Amino acid sequence: MLLGLSVYLAVILFIGLSVYQFVKYARMPLHARMELYPVPRERGRHTYGGSYMEEPEWWRKPHQISRSSELIDMLKEMLFIKKLFSSHRSLWWKSYSFHLGLYLLILWAILLIIGALAELSGIPVSPSVSFWTALLYYLTIITGVVGFAIATVGVILLLMRRVFDPVLKKYTTPQEYFNLLLLLAALSTGIAVWIPDLSFAAARQLVAQILTLSVVPDIMLVIHLLLAEVTLIYIPPSKMGHYVGKYFTYHKILWENEPNLAGSPMEDKVKAALANKPATSWGAPHIQNPPAPEA
Amino acid sequence: MTHKDLRPSDLGKSQEQLIHLDNLMPLSFPYDQPDMEPAFPEVKPEWKEKYCTSLDGCVALDTLQRPQTEAEEKELVQKFLRGMEKVFSDANKGVWQPLQLAYDYCAKCDTCSDACHIYKASGDKEVYRPIFRAEAFRKLYKSHITGGSKLYKRFVGADMDINWETVAQLGELAYRCNLCRRCAQVCPLGLDNSLFAKEIRKVFSQEMGIAPTPLHEKGTMLQLKTGSTTGIGKAAFLDMVEFLEEDIEDRIGRKIKIPIDKEGADILLIHNAGEFVAWPENPAAFAILFEEAGIDWTLSSSMIGYDSVNYGIWYDDVQARKIIEQQMQAARDLGVKRIVIGECGHAHKAAGLVADRMLPAEKKIPVESWIPIMWDLVRTGRLKFDPSKNNFPVTLHDPCNIVRQMGIVQPQREILRVIAPQFREMTPSGVDNYCCGGGSGFAIMHSANFEHFRNKVSSRVKFDQILRAFSDTITDRSVPKYVCAPCSNCKGSMRDIFKYYKATDKFNLRYGGLVELMVNALASLDQPYLEFLEG
Repeated sequence: MLLGLSVYLAVILFIGLSVYQFVKYARMPLHARMELYPVPRERGRHTYGGSYMEEPEWWRKPHQISRSSELIDMLKEMLFIKKLFSSHRSLWWKSYSFHLGLYLLILWAILLIIGALAELSGIPVSPSVSFWTALLYYLTIITGVVGFAIATVGVILLLMRRVFDPVLKKYTTPQEYFNLLLLLAALSTGIAVWIPDLSFAAARQLVAQILTLSVVPDIMLVIHLLLAEVTLIYIPPSKMGHYVGKYFTYHKILWENEPNLAGSPMEDKVKAALANKPATSWGAPHIQNPPAPEA
Repeated sequence: MTHKDLRPSDLGKSQEQLIHLDNLMPLSFPYDQPDMEPAFPEVKPEWKEKYCTSLDGCVALDTLQRPQTEAEEKELVQKFLRGMEKVFSDANKGVWQPLQLAYDYCAKCDTCSDACHIYKASGDKEVYRPIFRAEAFRKLYKSHITGGSKLYKRFVGADMDINWETVAQLGELAYRCNLCRRCAQVCPLGLDNSLFAKEIRKVFSQEMGIAPTPLHEKGTMLQLKTGSTTGIGKAAFLDMVEFLEEDIEDRIGRKIKIPIDKEGADILLIHNAGEFVAWPENPAAFAILFEEAGIDWTLSSSMIGYDSVNYGIWYDDVQARKIIEQQMQAARDLGVKRIVIGECGHAHKAAGLVADRMLPAEKKIPVESWIPIMWDLVRTGRLKFDPSKNNFPVTLHDPCNIVRQMGIVQPQREILRVIAPQFREMTPSGVDNYCCGGGSGFAIMHSANFEHFRNKVSSRVKFDQILRAFSDTITDRSVPKYVCAPCSNCKGSMRDIFKYYKATDKFNLRYGGLVELMVNALASLDQPYLEFLEG
């Protein structure tokens, strides 16, 4: 019962802490304009990095925005880590192997929940019952096997890069090794637990037990579940929670592109920000006692 | 220890110079030959005694002088730490969030190093690696500001001591970055490592009162006092405009009355006032083009209304705000419909982007670049050209502030395609282009041997790009090769590298803005406008 509850708690904490981090950054004061082009939402111009400021009297003209090209770039970044692919290919292979593995494992977990719910309602997840159960059966195997394999290989490669690259070694803190080791521990204990049954029937059964709070513990399983839970809780406040940061850096900073025009929503935000007088002030003499102009 | 072994926590460990500027990135033909480049000069003993030369032998912070007593040393360290704390507070509203994100999330994947022209030009010197500076900042913050047990501090890498030398070296290091933001463009997490350089500069200026003389004392302070960083007051400015009118008449035989303080004009054109002193042919070219096209425009002679520069955006937000407020005031007083910024990149950013959120919308006059207007005049045939007058190789330098940071990419190229038959791009170009090496104040900084750093290191990649762009005719001295650099700071860099490498003397490399090239190709003109084409 406790073990089942701890899974729920870890998932809730993962979501709660991610939201907390999100709110923390969102509540920081409005930042200065810091776009970098290309900005994908610039309709027709994003292909070469152009902006609305290429138009004379741009403020009199409607800002041509393309939500679809923004969405496409966003998906490319989320699904394929496009930026890393184009600027640092050798690292992309390692990083993408890990991230794609992680995405597949998330999918695997969702498929296990669906499978467990199906079995709890009396539909066996087997290739011979129906097309849908067969699909679920095989997809679970593929996502699980490939997910564990490439995520683990990715983490090992990332770790080796940190350990053996003479440059990175100098910049890596113990915490950063710990992050990768924690992921490796969670993944490798998972492999140890599931490798005897690659049809993942036992995994589905475990998920059903978690759903009904009736987990039958075994030592390896307990170790794996606890490690996975610790990882889940540890990710959001650590730098591995960069899925939160990336939303702000891309959407709110590099791609923001919202001029402070009269009557725009940005005008209200700027006014509110300007009305907020800072409690802290700088100490340099020219700020404390500014000189008067001569003319 | 070689420079390859240096770690961020080595800053301040010794007064010995950390790196030497040798084994730099090789330049392309013909500068790959021996003796084509001046050697880096010896660091003078008096500089070592007075300033901090222990980073790389160069001095940017000429107002940071070695302390005489232990108490002075301690005070500097304390002030620095206090300032560091303030960058993550509401005193630093406009940058807090982006800085916090870069501080928290950098994975130190090192993708940014290859994008940094200073790091690459230096021959991959460790201290210039973008993450070196950022990690030093992080380590100092974690070691001396964030609390925690000894074990926790070891775990998070808080292992950096601090003394006068550490602070001084970090202050110098903040001025080994052009703030071009090319590193941010390649960051997989969208983080901006140049922020650390900028914020360290701000801690020095806004908290400690220490900034390079050309930026502060003879920069923003002089501008706020006299109206311009050139020190030109209103009377002198009016004289200069008169001189410009005479010069135009001498050069092209046209009598042009340059409008000054014309109330209710459509356009208030603001130049970098340095143009009037160093390159008067540039504001003159604007006047010729605007008059020929029949534009309703004016210059302003009121306080700061005739100088678009705002060095504050490189090192001190408080100074930047004061200047922006006065420039907007000048425009509001004249009742103009729009402000147009002339050929000055950082002024584009200051008035177009930084000012955007520093003032409420009703206090602002809309700001735009001169480039789209000019393209409009070319496109609609209001200006007519004979491109054969510009029949020599031309390449375009993209000022980071206008191109990468504002997305004004195509109009200048469209103009060049019309007026310059031998126009060719640099590689890379557009939003991926490299900084001229003069960005963020370097073009006007010259204390001790800083200009050698600029010419040999920060402008090196740009110079190499230029050599490659003209590789077909580089050795043919009879062919002038024109680098179109539509930005005062960038032009300053070009002037300096061409002199330093004797590139004009040896290979007839020339530089200038875009408007000069436009005037040179005007169909209505009988003689060349560009001096190097005369006789």
